[in-house]
Amino acid sequence: MNRRHSHLPLGMLVMLSWRNIWRHRRRTLITLSSIAIGFALAVLMIGLNDGAHNSMIRNAIKLGEGHLTVQPRGYIEAPANHKYLTDGTTLQEKIGSLDVAGRIEPRISLQILASTASNSVGAGLEGLSPQGDQRADLLRPQLVDGTWIEPGDQRGILIGDGMAGKLKAKIGSKVVLMAGKQGGDSQAQLGRVRGIFDSRVDELDDYLILSDIQLARRFLEGEGADPALQPITRFALFLDDPDSLPEWKAELKAAVENDQVVVLDWREMMPQLVQFIMVDDAGNYIFLVLILIMVVFGILNTVLMSVLERTREFGLLRALGISRYHLLWLVFCESLLLSLLAVGIGWIVAGAVHLWFASHGIDMAALMGGSTEMMGTFMDPVIYTELSGERVFQLTLLIFAATLGSGIYPAIKASRVTPVEALRT
Amino acid sequence: MTTIDNDSAGKTAMALLTLQGVDKIYRQGELEVRALQEIDLTVQEGEFAALVGPSGSGKTTLLNIIGGLDAPSHGSIQLNGTSITTLKEAELSDFRLFQLGFVFQAYNLVPVLSALENVELVMVLQGRDVRERRERAEHYLELVGLEKVMQRRPAALSGGQQQRVAVARALAAGPRLVLADEPTANLDSENATALLDIMHRLSHEEKTTFIFSTHDRRVMERAERIITLRDGKIVSDKHIGQESHEQMA
Repeated sequence: MNRRHSHLPLGMLVMLSWRNIWRHRRRTLITLSSIAIGFALAVLMIGLNDGAHNSMIRNAIKLGEGHLTVQPRGYIEAPANHKYLTDGTTLQEKIGSLDVAGRIEPRISLQILASTASNSVGAGLEGLSPQGDQRADLLRPQLVDGTWIEPGDQRGILIGDGMAGKLKAKIGSKVVLMAGKQGGDSQAQLGRVRGIFDSRVDELDDYLILSDIQLARRFLEGEGADPALQPITRFALFLDDPDSLPEWKAELKAAVENDQVVVLDWREMMPQLVQFIMVDDAGNYIFLVLILIMVVFGILNTVLMSVLERTREFGLLRALGISRYHLLWLVFCESLLLSLLAVGIGWIVAGAVHLWFASHGIDMAALMGGSTEMMGTFMDPVIYTELSGERVFQLTLLIFAATLGSGIYPAIKASRVTPVEALRT
Repeated sequence: MTTIDNDSAGKTAMALLTLQGVDKIYRQGELEVRALQEIDLTVQEGEFAALVGPSGSGKTTLLNIIGGLDAPSHGSIQLNGTSITTLKEAELSDFRLFQLGFVFQAYNLVPVLSALENVELVMVLQGRDVRERRERAEHYLELVGLEKVMQRRPAALSGGQQQRVAVARALAAGPRLVLADEPTANLDSENATALLDIMHRLSHEEKTTFIFSTHDRRVMERAERIITLRDGKIVSDKHIGQESHEQMA
């Protein structure tokens, strides 16, 4: 037999599917509404989550060592005062020659013992440029007493209110800064408290001492460093565009990395923060999955009801000569159209919710009991929703896949209808 | 009533449909129900034949088997030179699409399509071009007297109008054989008569073969051949001349 096959043009398929989904207008609208609300909730939750995490990351980067850090190899595994970059001048020239779109901050980090007549505490001395350094810029507004240190201040230090309490130090108090040397000896410098800050992060307020880089560098000189070469512990790089991190990291690695020098990004510098965010994300993904299950059952209910109600009609179509394959596509196309509508309406609702919270934010301070400190950094008390293009794509794909996936079973069920049995119903 | 013996009738015409030794057995647990038994039947091109018999006699089962909607337990069926009992399911589906037309007792139309679109639907599946199917659909809807309501959906049509759309759909697709299962069962007398008149007229004008099941005496009166079934067997097969119709009338 010279066999001829059945055809179902795309236009007819879409037209039939479109009309079919509106047979029960109210049911379809309820389904679409529930998906849109579920989707808006998911977007709000993910947006708030990303907003909170990004706030933490941004603050951690500013308080910490930037998006990228160039430092002695092995320092992160076992920090020690004798691990430093001996030739800061040459290294800075190399980094500068890359024309990195951002700021490069030389820093010296030391573990010291801070003592006053009243008490002694372990501390981290951070030598930086008092004007223009990101960390200095972030902490300057948090100054609760005294004044900010001036560039070139040979004695001035800034301490947190936690440390001030432990040392019983006030503005003008002398603090002896003592550091161990590689050979076992120790060295000391005298510092004078110029200001006291409250960073909102107890870990910093209890531990951090800020000084001009020249004061900290004297400890490196004590380790035998040549001051003419401007030795430092690290360069912290703050990128104008955080998304360009992978490219700059690769360029920096190629330019400066060797067996003495390593380039690390903020994720490598703060693995605990990364882990915390991952765990927090996992919890949110569970919530997202619950919403998706709700969406899947919403669509499944609508399409399956519609298929079961139309068994006789499918029998008629099969009797007239429509193939199983075309019947499967017909029902699947109904799910596809529902999915597209659901995603479209979902994004309109979710987009509006996101835009409102992205501009107005949610004040979380009351919920967090006044403290927004977390994992050595802090979250801004007002959280604004943030959605990256990647997130938009992920959420769209997820909701689309969930809605489409829920149409598979009804489509298969419809295609399995046998005309003679269906026509008897 | 003048009748013509089946054996001597239409020998010069070409056989469109031949059933030989067709049985249909349903199993319900341990119980075997023989819905059709040893059916031998030949239908020539252009015949307008009625399958009659009481409920449960096997009329619908026979139509389903001829239409490839159900498979016989035994026997062979040749339709337009094709042994349909050897066709696979997908082949049967295509065979129905291009060779057969169906009119069912009820729920004949797709509710979301207009009368015109319902008639076009089978031609769409056949792959006919837009212009041809539109012209044919309009033509056949005019032939069944529905030119003024062709844009209406089934819900806005009466039962009689819906059945006429189904007849238009069956014929517009150009089938060799139209199978109608109790097409007038849900219609009042006036609509039933009108539908039968249309089917009869188009059968002659279009030279299309019709086999329809019925237990409606008014329908039988218009049949040119009456095949009587009882307990799954053909107990009578009569060709009726024009004069006998006039006598019956």
